[in-house]
Amino acid sequence: MKAMTMTRNGRPSTLARIAREPGLVLGTILIVFLALVALFPGLFASQSPNAISVPDALQPPSAAHWFGTDDVGRDLYARVVYGARVTLSICAGSLLLSALMGGLLGLISGFFGGWVDQVLGRLIDVMLSFPPIILGVIITGVLGPATHNLILALSIVYLPVFFRIARAGAMSETGQTYVEAARSIGLSEGAILRRHVTRNVTPLILTQYMILFPLILQIQAALGFLGLGVQPPTPDWGAILEGGKDYILFAPWMSIFPGAAVLVTALALMLVGRGLQRRIDRR
Amino acid sequence: MASYLAKRLGASILTAFLASILVFMLVRLVPGDVVAQMMGQAGGAEAEASLRAFFGLDQPIYMQYLIWIGNVLQGDLGTSWARGLPVSDMVGKAFMVTLEIGIVTLVVATLVGVPLGVIAAIYEGRPLDTIIQGFNLLGLAAPVFWVGLMLLVGVSSALSWSPPLRFVPPTRSLADNIAILVLPVASLALLQAAAYSQFVRQNVVSAMHQEYVRTAIAKGVPVRLIFFKHILRNVLVPIVTFMGLILIQILGGVVIIESLFALPGLGRLLLNAIETRDYPVVQGALLLVVVAAMVVNLVVDLAYRLIDPRLRTA
Repeated sequence: MKAMTMTRNGRPSTLARIAREPGLVLGTILIVFLALVALFPGLFASQSPNAISVPDALQPPSAAHWFGTDDVGRDLYARVVYGARVTLSICAGSLLLSALMGGLLGLISGFFGGWVDQVLGRLIDVMLSFPPIILGVIITGVLGPATHNLILALSIVYLPVFFRIARAGAMSETGQTYVEAARSIGLSEGAILRRHVTRNVTPLILTQYMILFPLILQIQAALGFLGLGVQPPTPDWGAILEGGKDYILFAPWMSIFPGAAVLVTALALMLVGRGLQRRIDRR
Repeated sequence: MASYLAKRLGASILTAFLASILVFMLVRLVPGDVVAQMMGQAGGAEAEASLRAFFGLDQPIYMQYLIWIGNVLQGDLGTSWARGLPVSDMVGKAFMVTLEIGIVTLVVATLVGVPLGVIAAIYEGRPLDTIIQGFNLLGLAAPVFWVGLMLLVGVSSALSWSPPLRFVPPTRSLADNIAILVLPVASLALLQAAAYSQFVRQNVVSAMHQEYVRTAIAKGVPVRLIFFKHILRNVLVPIVTFMGLILIQILGGVVIIESLFALPGLGRLLLNAIETRDYPVVQGALLLVVVAAMVVNLVVDLAYRLIDPRLRTA
């Protein structure tokens, strides 16, 4: 390490640390941008995502319609911009539910052990025996395509992963001396779990959240593409792709742009997830 | 080894059994069974009741399950409610299509992904490594079905060719079969090759930094020998494990790809059966998916016990 990049206390300066993680920085910038688009779509698109104009149907990208228009003449740029909010909030929310449920069950399972662990572990094994996307397809397919069913399905898909992480974390924390110490000063099991174990397992869950986010986004888009996700006319990236499927050879722009939006978002999330993972590994 | 195998097998069978209950309950969770769909607006209560009896839906749910699982254990998956064909035949035929796509994809992904990962590891930190890692990231971030769509657009505009729409099994015409599978396999393999390459790179890099490698270099062992005898051998275990993971992922990804390219595989059969509430087909197809995933896991487990003698005594 060159002396120039060090601060006085001998730690690398912020700039030096940023230079070491260009992926993390790029990913973060992209995510902030995407979050702004999702929060304030009106700032980025002046046209309405739902205004139908049949004479303008299936126009290729132009100055008036940056991403072209769809089969009923809606502006695709506006639909992709407004779709960011729908798609990303569904993914973020479902994954949060997943992390909370899976994390809680995993903590309980790992901390208490015994028959609780046996029963929960067996149930999770059963869930893990289905490939994730198939689990999503069955749940949304059987319950019917609707946003709340989509959220339910997406929150179940990766629940076992959070469960396992939290369980393993809780088990390794339970063996630590500080837990024994807390027990010996008379702290109740519930308090130890809440105050100590949970606090140490939370960073693992958060990192996993970032790692799974791009995967849940892809499943969300795939279910939308199969017609099992958000229903039209709500602008959602997967649903836009579903609508473009039949026009793929004459109007490929209907598929190119919403898919590229998924790609860029997933890429940004992966860059951040990896950066975080590396930091955890280094500790 | 034998006792381990018995234990593993027992756990797998128990999980498969529980999964079968879950599958059975899941399809019956919602209102609107096949009878309601058949009757529509018309029809009286009597006709409806006799149809329910015909499908066995008048029985309590646990009886329905016991009858079903009893037949399954005898190799009879029932009869499709929508098509009137034996489910075993429908599911078996569809599975062969999915299996073909899966195996070809696995082979392509391995042949592309493993060398890429090894090359990236050898050139660690240099431009070639960065390029390969960029490819990995793009491959992992791109939605599989979107890659399929883009390939379709690209190929049809560049070569003015699009894949035939009717599936032809390889036994009838290998050339036609390949023409149909080229794009679906390419779109699935891109993702899996990227995953593979990233995984292999990580493992080879960490193996290269091990002490025994440094010792071997210090001893003057030729680099080629170090690579093949030490590094590759140690990396083989995770590579085999990963192969199983990839195969299971392909099994999932194939659902969307089959529906995009109109391939008559297990995924499309499952989607159609869910739509028509054809319970016996849904159950049969799902059970097959679960069992297939389990078999893959079991085989992987046994394979790496064979490769790595250290695990045999455990």
